[in-house]
Amino acid sequence: MANNIIEVKDLCYCYVDNGPWCVNHMSLEIAEGSFVGIIGQNGAGKSTLMKNLTGLLRPTHGTIHLNGEDIADKPVAEIANTLGYVLQNPDRQLFADTVREELAFGPTNQGVSEEEVNKRIDYILKSVGIMHLADEYPPALSKGDRAKVVIGSVLAMEPQVIILDEPTGGQDYIGRYQIMDIARKFHDRGHTVIVVTHSMALVAEYCEKIVVLCNAEILLQGTSKEVFSQPEVLAKTFIRPPQITELANRMKEELGIHETLLSVEEMGDKVLEHIPSGE
Amino acid sequence: MSILDYHYGDSYVHRMDPRVKMILLVLLTIVVFIISNFYVLVTMFALVLLVWKTAKLPMKNIVRYMKFLLSLVAFLIVLQGLFFSSGDNPVILMHPIIPDVVPVIGGHGTIYLDGILFGLVLGLRLLTLVCIMPIFTMTTTISETALGLVKLGMNYKYAYMTTTALNLIPTLQEETKMIMDAQKMRGFKAFETGKLMEKLRAYVTLVVPLVVGSMRRAQLMGVAMEGRAFGAMKTRTYREDLNLRTRDIVCGVFVMLLCIGVVYFNIRLGGWY
Amino acid sequence: MGTIIEAKEFSYSYPRRDNQVLKNLNFKVEEGEFIAIMGRNGAGKSTLTQAFNGVIPHLHGGTIWGNILVDGVCSQETEITEMAQKVGVVLEDPEAQLFTTRVDDEMAFGIENLCLPREEIIERIKWATKVVRLEGFWDREPTALSGGQKQRCAIAATLAMKPKIMVLDEPTSQLDPIGTFEVFDVIKSLKEEYGMTVMVATHKSEHIAEYADRIMVLEAGEIVAFDTPQVIFRNSELLSHVAVRPPQVSALAAYLNSMGQNIKRSDYPLLIEEAEVVIRNLIGGASNGQ
Repeated sequence: MANNIIEVKDLCYCYVDNGPWCVNHMSLEIAEGSFVGIIGQNGAGKSTLMKNLTGLLRPTHGTIHLNGEDIADKPVAEIANTLGYVLQNPDRQLFADTVREELAFGPTNQGVSEEEVNKRIDYILKSVGIMHLADEYPPALSKGDRAKVVIGSVLAMEPQVIILDEPTGGQDYIGRYQIMDIARKFHDRGHTVIVVTHSMALVAEYCEKIVVLCNAEILLQGTSKEVFSQPEVLAKTFIRPPQITELANRMKEELGIHETLLSVEEMGDKVLEHIPSGE
Repeated sequence: MSILDYHYGDSYVHRMDPRVKMILLVLLTIVVFIISNFYVLVTMFALVLLVWKTAKLPMKNIVRYMKFLLSLVAFLIVLQGLFFSSGDNPVILMHPIIPDVVPVIGGHGTIYLDGILFGLVLGLRLLTLVCIMPIFTMTTTISETALGLVKLGMNYKYAYMTTTALNLIPTLQEETKMIMDAQKMRGFKAFETGKLMEKLRAYVTLVVPLVVGSMRRAQLMGVAMEGRAFGAMKTRTYREDLNLRTRDIVCGVFVMLLCIGVVYFNIRLGGWY
Repeated sequence: MGTIIEAKEFSYSYPRRDNQVLKNLNFKVEEGEFIAIMGRNGAGKSTLTQAFNGVIPHLHGGTIWGNILVDGVCSQETEITEMAQKVGVVLEDPEAQLFTTRVDDEMAFGIENLCLPREEIIERIKWATKVVRLEGFWDREPTALSGGQKQRCAIAATLAMKPKIMVLDEPTSQLDPIGTFEVFDVIKSLKEEYGMTVMVATHKSEHIAEYADRIMVLEAGEIVAFDTPQVIFRNSELLSHVAVRPPQVSALAAYLNSMGQNIKRSDYPLLIEEAEVVIRNLIGGASNGQ
């Protein structure tokens, strides 16, 4: 069993004194090297939880341990060395004149040698697929490319954990998969990835573990199969499983499906089993 | 939450005609600039607090302003205490704090009571001014302000441009915070653990993304406003009308008289204290 | 019902750019139709939505060729503010287009500009609030609403002006599934209950499959297809070429065919119910054969 890189114990947070809890007694463990999806309605507390993890907000109650150390007294800029956070709106995260400088910003702040910075930039440009944009002015890029630059600039800091907050909002079909594939690539290199998203299809396809938030509390957590096999619980937070999972659930008996199906291929294979020519 | 944001409520101050509020805002600002007597200023500040209470605005904000102004006021008091030079016969609180034996600056450093009081007056004046503005912005919606300006004779396009610009201030504050957060997340240490100069330099780096962002936003807002026929006609109608109620007039006259009284006392008392 | 939007050889390029972002568009939209505009990011969807009320070229500059007639008026030669009474355009970013401090002020803004009498203004605010189901929220601050409520508030602010045509640019891009559902439900009612012509640029295939009359597919500024969802979503080759995701159940049919099945193109399902029928037919065949 891998170590837990993040341990959240009994975390509470509210924005105003005596106001409503935006994070209400959440406890959560994230194993090193896992790929975690965080889902839930707008306002369920996803971003608030993430901001607590990164130190941008400080818990009203409870503790957060990163690599076994309490982060309570650590400045954000120090936490950022271990935990990279890509915020929702890419436009507020671009400050440099060229993509190359943008990527260099983080590692330079970390005090990495120039040689190493250049090495990292080249690696990121290649692995994120923005080599051709290296000398462009970041704010002038297309939405999809801006998102990639922002993700790349956080990845360039080589954090152990990377959090992507709604990375695919407003992206087209291809853009979504490109971004998730970048995340997967870094996951394969041993990084821990946390994705906050509304897209059930992407969560089902990429994430090993899913945490469902509802009204500032953790409603469910488990593997994607475990989570999507409980549509009744999910319905509480108005989350609908992917269309294909819903179809599979409806045709459970006819097709003899016992587990939760998440992809078109899985469902297709199941159907083929029941067709004479496929036997 | 920004310090200038509209604060929901249904107090008398909220319901007051925005025109009266606007005029009183200008009047009070001028009066606070005029008065120089410490006791009159304290009275004035107490009155502002009373209005603040009537409008059911959060008292916490005043504590925030005080904290914000504290270092500035302390600086003013020390500066004025040491270097106060006007006044015919300044009361000396403490004789030279630097003994004569010290070369060059020896014998200097007399602390004047007048100076300290003058510093205090400046500080209190600043605080009072800072507390007056939100009484207006926190109790008046953008549309009420715009309508008030129109009824006072301003062209509606300018009226809306003014109020929309005012509305941009809290947005900019929020935007600044988001950019700072993003920079922190990229390991930029200056905001948290940097020295004063580093912090200042760090704030300068915020300017470009902030300007780029606001221009984009302003342009979008322009598209949205024109898309909703802003400027289609010479005039426009309003969902709500303003009616100058008797008690608004009475209240306005009362505050005006109060201002005259305050200025009168200030002249009668003269001096700083 | 007649034609309400007609583009004739319409092309556009942004100022100081050589390439045309919209190329030689020719199309007609009938009154009361629900049209979805799909295609990858950068295909020209947003640009096209802004051409309907003349923001392009009036505010952005640039060069146009040809024209778009909206309700008999050329949108490129008419003031935006005048077009605003025919076409309501809801922008993608809900925050930039909500600029007042109360929900009812937001809705009042547009109709006040039209110089309508006060009673009418109040009447219309009530109506628009009801359509987007924001009753009880009228004294809230728009920035304090949830994402879905903000989007619906932006829709209502435009809707209150009672334009004949509503154009929406990615109205659900930041929303969770329930918010997306609420917004699409409102958009559907605009067409069905109020007879408006609706054009929506979006990536949400499952919703479009359910609601749209026709889909306009843009690729690099050109219209590559303009047909019913049934035709578009069944054309897997076209979809992969233009980076549009079919509903998952259509993808299932395509997958089954790639595995040797023989589902007719015209039988590709778009909705879950249709998929159930198709699958039952397949396995039903099995039980007959056994």
